[in-house]
Amino acid sequence: MINDKDSQKIVDYIQNFARKQSLFVMAYGTGCGAIEIPATMTSRYDAERFGIRGAATPRQADVLLITGYLATKTLKRVIRVYEQMQEPKYVIGFGSCTINGGMYFDSYNTINALEQYIPVDVYINGCMPRPESVISGFVKLQELIQQGKADNGKKYRENLEWYRTNQKKIIKNWKMPDYNW
Amino acid sequence: MIREKETTLYLGPQHPGITGNMMVKLKVQGDTVVKATTHVGYLHRAFEKLIEQRNWLNAFTLLCRFCVPEPDPMELTYARAVEELDNREVPERAQYIRVIVMELARLQSFMLWYAGQAGSAGLYTLGQWSVGDRNYILDLFEELTGGRIYHMYIWPGGVRRDVTDTWKDKVLKTMDYLEKRQDDYNQLMFDNTIFQKRAKGVGIVPKDKAIEWGVVGPPLRGVGIKSDVRIDEPYEVYDKLDFEVPTAEGGDIWARALVRKEEFRQSISIIRQAIEKMPKGDYYNKVPNPMKWVVPEGQAWAKTESVRGEIGFYVVSNGTNKPYRVHAKGAAYTHGVTVLEKILPGQNIADISFIMNSLGVCPPEIER
Amino acid sequence: MTELIKEQHLLDSLTSAFKIKGRVIRDRRVEVFADKKMVSGILLFAKKQLGFIHLAHMTCIDWIDENKFELIYTIWSPIEKIHLFVKTKIERENPEMENIDSIWDQANTYEREIREMFGIQFPGLIGEQDFALEDWDEMPPMRKDFDTKKYALETYYQRPGREDAKDVRETISERSGTKVPDFAKKYSREK
Repeated sequence: MINDKDSQKIVDYIQNFARKQSLFVMAYGTGCGAIEIPATMTSRYDAERFGIRGAATPRQADVLLITGYLATKTLKRVIRVYEQMQEPKYVIGFGSCTINGGMYFDSYNTINALEQYIPVDVYINGCMPRPESVISGFVKLQELIQQGKADNGKKYRENLEWYRTNQKKIIKNWKMPDYNW
Repeated sequence: MIREKETTLYLGPQHPGITGNMMVKLKVQGDTVVKATTHVGYLHRAFEKLIEQRNWLNAFTLLCRFCVPEPDPMELTYARAVEELDNREVPERAQYIRVIVMELARLQSFMLWYAGQAGSAGLYTLGQWSVGDRNYILDLFEELTGGRIYHMYIWPGGVRRDVTDTWKDKVLKTMDYLEKRQDDYNQLMFDNTIFQKRAKGVGIVPKDKAIEWGVVGPPLRGVGIKSDVRIDEPYEVYDKLDFEVPTAEGGDIWARALVRKEEFRQSISIIRQAIEKMPKGDYYNKVPNPMKWVVPEGQAWAKTESVRGEIGFYVVSNGTNKPYRVHAKGAAYTHGVTVLEKILPGQNIADISFIMNSLGVCPPEIER
Repeated sequence: MTELIKEQHLLDSLTSAFKIKGRVIRDRRVEVFADKKMVSGILLFAKKQLGFIHLAHMTCIDWIDENKFELIYTIWSPIEKIHLFVKTKIERENPEMENIDSIWDQANTYEREIREMFGIQFPGLIGEQDFALEDWDEMPPMRKDFDTKKYALETYYQRPGREDAKDVRETISERSGTKVPDFAKKYSREK
């Protein structure tokens, strides 16, 4: 293994460069923002230019896109999906409702701030965010990855207890496998 | 024959084939579905509760999010119910504008359907074309209303902004383009042997049970029953426009696809007629201060035709500045639960997302 | 719209078969008010005899001041092209209503939703208890006495800053040190 610091830097640089160029997005339309994803992925906006494309299963995905409001029932599934994803993994909160509840701030069934339950790398605001802003959010994520700042998987592991407490506040019937990655 | 053991299979909520965020719990024997149960609620945002907390006009921001692929019929239906309660007249020009907006919404939803239906059969090229072209319609919406997806454009008493002549020209140009493009789509879809073989005889809705199960819209026309809210209970100016309601026989995915293919043409023709016939005049009647607007006591039911079928709104007012109760019933409410549960047994697992796309199952509309 | 012959005829045939009150609202709209026990009979009669084969929608209204729930069945006849509303009021304490999913299969979905959202029981209803909610142990949420805002404030994390947005104009004027113009004051939400 490499011991000296400078060569580690080079390895990290190459690793991050490679990671940012191929972001596989989890195909999980958790909310209404999912309607702009086809537009972003197809011919006019063509997100594949940036190395962004869909992945069908959590194990193969790098990015979890939370497209909008999260009902408590979905939150449970999102946590499960997030925990199944392998590191490095990134989360993008898409739309105003992931930031502060948006127009659903007083709904009894939607959460208001996403980063209380899973760590979020980038938020994209707007309702609905345009494909351009979706791409700009992804570019921002790529910058973070290149700088080595997007290590939320580690953060989640280290602060698991805090996240669990928050999650269990919402999800009353907690029957899920332990997180042991 | 080897009798296979029955297994439970959870399809969704995270599954690329499911049309949205919902789950179908299946009992399968080998590859064949024995029993299907729909589980919804992953998108429940408590709209009906929230509308009771907002005033009459604020409800529009929530309404258009009822069903994401096609938000405009929701606005129109609610607006029509409120107009009935409040005895509001709509100027004729506004009615024509509404018709154009509705048909544009229908077209963009058809293009999403083209992508979804072909995509679930493995034909990904069509999705690239039709969803890419759909942006031209969204551009028109953006110019007219300011939003690509959600417009909040129709309101009680008319529409929010007037249309300009340049916009009309753009619409006509886009229609010419789409008319040409649709031939390409059809060539990829209907001339494709894979699609033909997968669509014919799959997901059959029986003709004698269709109305009883609550089938509406293209699936109902696909069994040969001519039913469309636009002719059954004409609203706005649909009775002044000349269009056909296509039907097909068979009730399978192929029949539904044929119906939608022809409806696409009809929508383009309706838009052309509406632009030609649109009179000059006001585009809205003044609405009182929305903060203080009190709608008289009463109950009203309005329904319109969306791309998936009829959409109905039951609006109740108790004479205050907030709706007392708003209940929305979309086509997916029956298609996604009762009909899906009834026609899935006996089908192949691989056909499920194909069937769901062709029925037009839209989960946010079911649970709201 | 003075000629409502079809509608009047329908109302007459219903009122003569059952002892119920009703009225013609406008063209294509007829409503009848029935007793709780008669609803399924009326629906079955309308479906079999009068051709109302399509259950367009079914809903519930919580009239908390009267202490009643109102159930509304909207049915549609594709031949006559008329909507018939069958309305009934039931008590709000221990509400119970007859299950009609033997008449229309799709009624099952509506009834499951109403059971969850209003707490009305339909004896003999098949289907899982949960429809849209999961592990819900509060009051049925669509009842008028359930305060969704209070529940949301207590349950979910609130990001600071929303209370700031009560009146955007004043916040901006405080931040930038300018005055709110007089004409804008009358639109203030505070009043």
